[in-house]
Amino acid sequence: MLKKTHVLLTLALLLIFSLAGNVLPGQHQAAAKEKHNKTLVMGTSADYAPYEYIDTVKGNKIIGFDVDVARHIADKLGYNLVIKDMDFNGLVPALDAKRVDFVMAGMTPNAERKQKVDFSDTYYKAKQLIVTNDPKIKKIEDLKGKAIGVQLGSIQEKEAKKIADKVDNVSIEKRNKVPDLVQEIMSKRFNAAVIEDGVAIEYLNKNPDLSSFVIPGSASAGSAVALQKGSGLTEKFNKEIAAMKKNGELDQYAKKWFEPKTEKKAEKKSIVDFSTIMPSIPYILKGILTTLKFVVVSILLGFVLGTILALFKISKVNVLRWGADAYTSIFRGTPLILQLLIIYNATPQLTGYKIEPFLAGVLTFGLNSAAYVSEIIRAGINGVDKGQREASMALGVSYGSMMRQIILPQALKNILPALMNEFITLTKESAIIAVIGTTDIMRRAQIVGADTYRYFEPLITAGIIYYLMVMALTVLGRMLERRMSRGD
Amino acid sequence: MIKIENLHKTFGKNEVLKGISTEIGQGEVVAVIGPSGSGKSTFLRCINMLEEPTEGTILFKDQEVTTQASKIQQVRKKIGMVFQHFHLFPHMTVLDNLTYAPVTVNKTAKREAEAAARELLKRVGLADKEGEYPGRLSGGQKQRVAIARALAMNPEVMLFDEPTSALDPEMVKEVLDVMKSLAQSGMTMAIVTHEMGFAKEVADRVLFLDGGILVEDAVPAEFFAKPKSERAQAFLEKVL
Ligand SMILES: Nc1ncnc2c1ncn2[C@@H]1O[C@H](COP(=O)(O)OP(=O)(O)O)[C@@H](O)[C@H]1O
Ligand SMILES: [Mg+2]
Repeated sequence: MLKKTHVLLTLALLLIFSLAGNVLPGQHQAAAKEKHNKTLVMGTSADYAPYEYIDTVKGNKIIGFDVDVARHIADKLGYNLVIKDMDFNGLVPALDAKRVDFVMAGMTPNAERKQKVDFSDTYYKAKQLIVTNDPKIKKIEDLKGKAIGVQLGSIQEKEAKKIADKVDNVSIEKRNKVPDLVQEIMSKRFNAAVIEDGVAIEYLNKNPDLSSFVIPGSASAGSAVALQKGSGLTEKFNKEIAAMKKNGELDQYAKKWFEPKTEKKAEKKSIVDFSTIMPSIPYILKGILTTLKFVVVSILLGFVLGTILALFKISKVNVLRWGADAYTSIFRGTPLILQLLIIYNATPQLTGYKIEPFLAGVLTFGLNSAAYVSEIIRAGINGVDKGQREASMALGVSYGSMMRQIILPQALKNILPALMNEFITLTKESAIIAVIGTTDIMRRAQIVGADTYRYFEPLITAGIIYYLMVMALTVLGRMLERRMSRGD
Repeated sequence: MIKIENLHKTFGKNEVLKGISTEIGQGEVVAVIGPSGSGKSTFLRCINMLEEPTEGTILFKDQEVTTQASKIQQVRKKIGMVFQHFHLFPHMTVLDNLTYAPVTVNKTAKREAEAAARELLKRVGLADKEGEYPGRLSGGQKQRVAIARALAMNPEVMLFDEPTSALDPEMVKEVLDVMKSLAQSGMTMAIVTHEMGFAKEVADRVLFLDGGILVEDAVPAEFFAKPKSERAQAFLEKVL
């Protein structure tokens, strides 16, 4: 029986690890591509599809229109490209501090930015599209007598007004957000909407019923490369951009990233469809490693600390006892997520140390778990027959040896089910660290959800993974229990 | 070997021992008898400081047994104790039960300790049980392992607190036989017991406790033939 569960467990773990391990050859690709001996560092903020975003299908790689253009230019200039992902607001300061060589992030030159950095010529001007689910609307004139939606206070609103000037009876409807516009089209309250190409493409690719065309003569301010002030690179970048415009390469990239993929139109949408997120499943699976690492470190920390606290609790020294009891009371009496946010957000504020999300998470969970573990172990120690202590004392065994070799091993055996329970709880609760951006299973499921506009499938996938992990822990616990009970 | 002077022990307001003075000589076997609750266990447990005396002194080989942790451990190493309920370490094999203290406390080499342990197991008739866990032994076997465990530390004195009281009747003899042969080998022993036949046969002296007072201290032949005190007479009438 023991052998069988052992085999099952090994198989389950192997499966999980091989799935997780297979996922990402992506990391090695950078090394393979080192064909130049100079390097350019590009700063970007990979949360702005299709300009730059993390491809959950291919793993952690940042892809997008800007990345393709940057790679092309860097290659032409004889550089390897290294991409640094950061917050959009940190891009200009990073350039200013010379931590990156240039920035491409769908960034529009404005007066404020120009004070700190130089800009290249514009390499892409976003186009404004008419997005509609009415197959009869194919050109501006077809909008006669129709309702068009726009985002309130946007340049699209101005485009719509220009259309209304040219075409009769066009009514303009305003909404706060683009998804609302799409929703209104789907429920046929609007006939069409004006949306920027880069934004529209996601909806067009995902909704086979939607079609689009470019509004002739429409354009936005356009994106440019930001470079360090006075950088010699600016001139070189401008030359390459001009060349790419001339030979049509820039248009090729734009076409690749900003034009809807027509072949998708055939797809019919069903309510639950795992095929859409299938390619992203490896990305979610990769979170297993993060979650496992997190859980293991937290459990170890919680266990060691919990044992020490338990010893304090049974000690004869009042200060230790009160301290340990107060500790437990505080950590059990406040929400875990609050503890996490305090450690993550307040540590930098109070100490100036910018604590990493993973470290903050492990600390919180370790400290929190210690409170529960200490109670379990205390109960376990008290549950060991008093005679064991007396027999040890009568033999001249020291307190430390007695605790380590006589009392705790017996206590552990009795409390193993309770400990296992605590570890299982910790494993499940670990999903909370998604809140501070640790890319664990939960976070990755959310990212895929945001990426594919499908929520049920990635969340269910995450749920299955958590369930399997808990099952593996349960089996492990049973095996341990059986091993430890061999004396009875 | 052991000298007890004016030993008092109080639990809260309950004075359990009310000034006991006696001596146990080298190689002497002393039986401690008396009604339940008279303080026999407490008396025994004070000798190796499992209970801390409220008043009085205990000398082990002319050295005062103190409450200082390091010193009390030195004394306890030399005083073996056997409990009514065995208190074997359930998570260790019989052999490990015997070698644990010598290896951990005396830093005896594991191999040496195991050889000595096997010798002791042979002596208590359990040579074939060294790999068993205590949970699989009978009561009599457990108590013999417990005696061997205490002996593994090479003690100079052995304390027994009702070693056969928790045993089924058919197992009492095997344990008493081990104790008898131990007594014959010259071990200094203090035995709390209700086995009057055993006390009469093996003990050199009988201590009769009642209500925390050492009422009689006599040789067994005299004590069992004709106790001096009325309390001892009443007690003997009940148990014999
Ligand atoms: N740890 C203790 N705390 C409080 N009272 C105790 C404790 N140990 C023993 N006693 C009391 O001391 C008295 C004597 O107990 P004990 O020495 O065990 O007697 P005996 O072994 O002769 O039956 C009893 O009344 C018992 O209740
Ligand atoms: Mg007793």
